[in-house]
Amino acid sequence: MRITFAVLNAVSASVLLLAVFALITPRFWVLDVPAALIALVELVSAAALLARSPWALRALSVAAWVTFALGLTLVSLVVITIAFLRGIHTEYSLAGLTLTALAVALLVPYTVLLPVVQLLWLKRQSVEPRS
Amino acid sequence: MTPRTFLRLLGLWLGLLSLCSVAIFYAVRLDRGRVPSGPYIVSVWESGARTARKVVHSEPELAHALEAEAARSGAQRVVETIVDSAPILSHSWLLLGESVVPAQDGLSASYQGRTAYATPDDLRKLEAYEHTLSFGGQLGLPLGIHVNRVLDTLASELGTEANELLRHGSFRRFAVISDAAYPRKVNEADVTREAIENSVRSAARYLARNQRRSGAFHYELNAVSGGESEEYNYPRHAGATFFLARAANQFHEPLLERASRRAGAFLKDRSTLRCGAHACVGEGDQVDIGSAALAVLAYVELVEGGNEDYRAAVLELAAFLRSQQRPDGEFQHFYSISGGHPIDVQTDYYTGEAAFALARVHRVSRDPKDLDAARRALSFLVARSPWFVGAHYLWGAEHWTCQALADLWQRAPDRVALKFCLDWQAVNRNLQFTSPPAPSSNDGSISRGPFMTPRLTPTGSRLEAAVATLEVARAAGLPASEIELLEHQIKRAFAFVLRYQFTPGPTHLMPRPRFLEGGFPGSASDLHVRIDYPQHSGAALLRYWELGKR
Repeated sequence: MRITFAVLNAVSASVLLLAVFALITPRFWVLDVPAALIALVELVSAAALLARSPWALRALSVAAWVTFALGLTLVSLVVITIAFLRGIHTEYSLAGLTLTALAVALLVPYTVLLPVVQLLWLKRQSVEPRS
Repeated sequence: MTPRTFLRLLGLWLGLLSLCSVAIFYAVRLDRGRVPSGPYIVSVWESGARTARKVVHSEPELAHALEAEAARSGAQRVVETIVDSAPILSHSWLLLGESVVPAQDGLSASYQGRTAYATPDDLRKLEAYEHTLSFGGQLGLPLGIHVNRVLDTLASELGTEANELLRHGSFRRFAVISDAAYPRKVNEADVTREAIENSVRSAARYLARNQRRSGAFHYELNAVSGGESEEYNYPRHAGATFFLARAANQFHEPLLERASRRAGAFLKDRSTLRCGAHACVGEGDQVDIGSAALAVLAYVELVEGGNEDYRAAVLELAAFLRSQQRPDGEFQHFYSISGGHPIDVQTDYYTGEAAFALARVHRVSRDPKDLDAARRALSFLVARSPWFVGAHYLWGAEHWTCQALADLWQRAPDRVALKFCLDWQAVNRNLQFTSPPAPSSNDGSISRGPFMTPRLTPTGSRLEAAVATLEVARAAGLPASEIELLEHQIKRAFAFVLRYQFTPGPTHLMPRPRFLEGGFPGSASDLHVRIDYPQHSGAALLRYWELGKR
């Protein structure tokens, strides 16, 4: 499982870095700073897990919590924005609604589901040695 | 925290998020279909300026509101009745900008017990609809209104400062119905041959009326300020001349014939340069083939109208266009006069314009080299790799391409080009607004995205291509169902364009309505008329009228 999480974190960090820093221009701190923060903690945790470092699980926990918190914030903002714009442009925001819903659907697996699975696994890890 | 608690908290977040979203949606939405119940915002406009306003709350009051002011000579009384309103959720500048639908909503501000209204007419007059907040580079956020401009106006009416109003005022957006006769109520059934002819004549007369002695046009008129732009653009001058000359050839109106000859002479006598061995059109050290191509289109029409003075000039320009063509059919779009060589750089439109121009000039020159150059250019334009999956989704502006297809069809039919133009029209059909759910005034227009007002000229230029494609589809014997789809799409788009033509338009907002008569504005929120706006919409209408004549 450690290897799986290491690979998944490395892949999501790479996708995030590529998407934000290679494809999107110009630079905009509101997007750049959270993206860089998530990518950094994910890469550190991936490296620690692969190197079987003694602090690997702690790093994974930090990465999962940071990703989860920023992910929830991001998804909440996007969903509330959709609701707001749908209310303002009632009649013809279907295209915008579809696109932003698609963006949420693509965000959720990386920013919410993956950290949730990691946190649940970490919880089990912390319980098992005691039992 | 146990996993169960964790999942419960996650569920709670999901529930709260859903609840917040539903609450926000219902708080900000407007029901534009409601029976209007007021208040009634009564305005009197004189010479394009608002000279009186009264807000009344009942129909008996409405009947006599501003009666005396409206009785003055030249005054127009307009009533905008509020249909529904909703609060602006915070005092945020950004949220205020995002809370108003351009060309549809008004904004009211209440401060210390008084309320001021910026109605859709006021916002159009202020040119305050649609503003892009730039973050540098290409990153920008479209806002429904120019917030500072609107705040300044409302604050001045309420006797305070804009910042004070933003901090301590309360705002509502509102939807209205207006008794002003603009936009006109036009639907597909109103797109008759007579309506089209009137519209084309009116658009062509707009250009003729706004022409200087030199033959140049008043390039861009602002309907709400009465001002005009200092800029000029040769390709657009040539395009406007092309439309004028075509209209003159069809309707034989002396006014249009004179104006097209003057506009042609401006190109021939004042804007023709030497590009090596050939003539070209433009100014300065570098010229483009777009000006030459559109001048060729205009000259061909002038020659066909009996102006033989243009025959030599058009043949020379055609030779210049051919000299700019590469072996693969593409053109080198620029020419350096001092360097004496073509510049192999490409921009939008010019290849299509050159293809169409060479197809047209062949009718005058009978030179097989022109036909061959046009045919090769068209093949280049419509060639798309079967491996490029995005070809189905990513399109340029192909209005000239499809007109070249139609012009060449009898002499050099190109089935690949026909398929290309049919596919492009299918994409345009998907982008066409349908009412409902879109507002009836936008029905038939081409979408620019969910948050922006549709523009007339992109709809008009797509219509030029759509009618050309329809013409070829009929000639090629395509199934009736395909032709019916195209024709339905075309008529709905024409209804949109006719709805917004200044016939005479929102004259109460215009200081000089006589000069604007017949023009097509940029959009419902951009009441400027640039010379290419009547050119594209008028040329599309004329093409459809000509098709009906055949």
